[in-house]
Amino acid sequence: MKLNQVLNGYRVVTRPTNADAGKCLWAFAEKGGGEFFIKEFLDPKIPKADSMGTVEDKERRFAECERFAKRHTDIMAALRADDVHAGNLVLAVDFFAVGTRYYKVTPRVRPADAAARDLDTRGQLVLLKTLVDSLVLLHAKGIVHGDLKPENILLTPARKGSLLVAKLIDFDDAYQAGAPPMAEVIGGNPLYGAPEWLRYLRGDQGAHARSLTQAADVFAVGLLIHTYLFGVPPGYGEGHESPAAAVLAGAPLAWDSRLGGRIRRLLESLTAADHRARPVIADVAAALDEPDVLVSAAVSPSPPPVPPPSTPPPGGGARTSRVLVNTTKTAARTSSARLRINLTDKN
Amino acid sequence: MSQNQNRSGDNNLKYAVDIVLCVDTTASMARMLANVKQSAMSFPNRLAQEMAAKGRGISSLRLKVIGFRDYADCAEDAMVVSPFLRVPDDLDSFEKTVNALHAGGGGDEPESALEALALAIGSDWETGLDRRRHVIVMFTDASAHRLGDPRHTSAATYPQSVPGSLEELYAQWGSGQSHSARMENPAKRLLMFAPESYPWTDIADDWNNTIYFPSVAGEGLEEWEMDQIIATIANSL
Ligand SMILES: Nc1ncnc2c1ncn2[C@@H]1O[C@H](COP(=O)(O)OP(=O)(O)OP(=O)(O)O)[C@@H](O)[C@H]1O
Repeated sequence: MKLNQVLNGYRVVTRPTNADAGKCLWAFAEKGGGEFFIKEFLDPKIPKADSMGTVEDKERRFAECERFAKRHTDIMAALRADDVHAGNLVLAVDFFAVGTRYYKVTPRVRPADAAARDLDTRGQLVLLKTLVDSLVLLHAKGIVHGDLKPENILLTPARKGSLLVAKLIDFDDAYQAGAPPMAEVIGGNPLYGAPEWLRYLRGDQGAHARSLTQAADVFAVGLLIHTYLFGVPPGYGEGHESPAAAVLAGAPLAWDSRLGGRIRRLLESLTAADHRARPVIADVAAALDEPDVLVSAAVSPSPPPVPPPSTPPPGGGARTSRVLVNTTKTAARTSSARLRINLTDKN
Repeated sequence: MSQNQNRSGDNNLKYAVDIVLCVDTTASMARMLANVKQSAMSFPNRLAQEMAAKGRGISSLRLKVIGFRDYADCAEDAMVVSPFLRVPDDLDSFEKTVNALHAGGGGDEPESALEALALAIGSDWETGLDRRRHVIVMFTDASAHRLGDPRHTSAATYPQSVPGSLEELYAQWGSGQSHSARMENPAKRLLMFAPESYPWTDIADDWNNTIYFPSVAGEGLEEWEMDQIIATIANSL
């Protein structure tokens, strides 16, 4: 596709790029006053009568195209925008072919110019819950997202207020629990991948497709919660290139010292080495509903490893036995009292 | 939990990246070539950075350079092919190879780009490690000669391995379904910075896993910022 080209009525309004995209070119587009994201797939391409290749080759390619298109339309049918929890899934509104290429269109999401860790605790909780609720819906349908990572979660301003919600994108690596794509082609990201994903991808002895289930997403959620609270995933030590590699080797993940007791135990269970030992996503949703879940049970023994905010908040830091997960107290203080339920220090 | 069962004895994902740069070195490329050379030098660093940012260390990075002109014009200097050069170990050789490219000759359009592409496809790609990316990048400002023209293939320097037609070359590129392909389907990418002329538009339409950035024929690739080109290559890893 090209800038200004019109595809199925969508006019491409930005120069197509492959930024953050392994298997497509993408751009923003407009149609009927609406703003869209359009993706052009690199593979497969639809053979035409005058295409290169033998007749048999073209037949095989054509059959592959039909499977590809079916996979996409099946996902579109399974995930419907009118589902109760679908509000924060960025679902395809169109899937079509022009010439030899396939395209997928979703509404354009305009990410907020803010990071999750700069939110106050309630803001963080809302963000995490919007993410987890989307996964509850996906997982209930037996679908594994398969590529959960910050790049696939766009943070957007809520309709009102200063809250951010998590919009989940890119279901192109999704699969039915227990039936992932073959190891050579399975999607996913090394930093957020689960141990069973890593073993499957490497073709380790005893690694089975059937162990790739919703629990692989749950592992990623454990890491993502840490990333949203502190800006980075937990540490995984020298000699390991990813949390999954560390967990497989039996090495503990290094949680941020500000992580409170209850939430720490939750994240530990989400990132258990054995996928069967991890809670299901509905349990995560329930845990996030408990009051004060992001508030630690005790003051951390060691000072936080980040520099203090440059402007000390009026009245100093937390003086009580409870600390906020969030150290950006300035943000917490300046937000309205409305935002302070559940997270002010309670003695 | 069973653990440490992979070949290398640790749990890290081993990622191999092979990149073949096919560079048109005919006279019309003079200005562009200076840019391509400059960015080729910054390549190794940029790629390593990009991969680290994605949480993927590259366990093996190899670069190969193919400079091409025109068998019809001067068969003697129509093709320069380096072996795969390992980064960082062979960085010196890589820089020497890139530096030695100079623009000149080639006569008129078309050029022998398809021969270069064929040699690139026939490279000894890495087949081990856990995940592989095999990228061919084509930089040219011209159309290409058709393969199999006896006026070219009869040259003593003409590479015997080059197939006799674009059809056959396509079979070597293959699709997700082909049995005869030389390229590993999920690993392969072809990035073309080339004009909208034969065979680039056909290849872009028909071959999977290609990314085509058309330029205006005869005007070179100036409209593509080198930085964008490097980013595009890095994104494709
Ligand atoms: N609806 C959207 N609105 C705005 N930006 C989007 C939208 N969908 C995707 N993007 C942007 O485009 C990028 C690429 O999209 P996407 O992740 O779907 O591609 P991909 O080829 O499946 O990538 P990969 O498989 O490497 O994760 C995303 O990282 C995001 O920055």
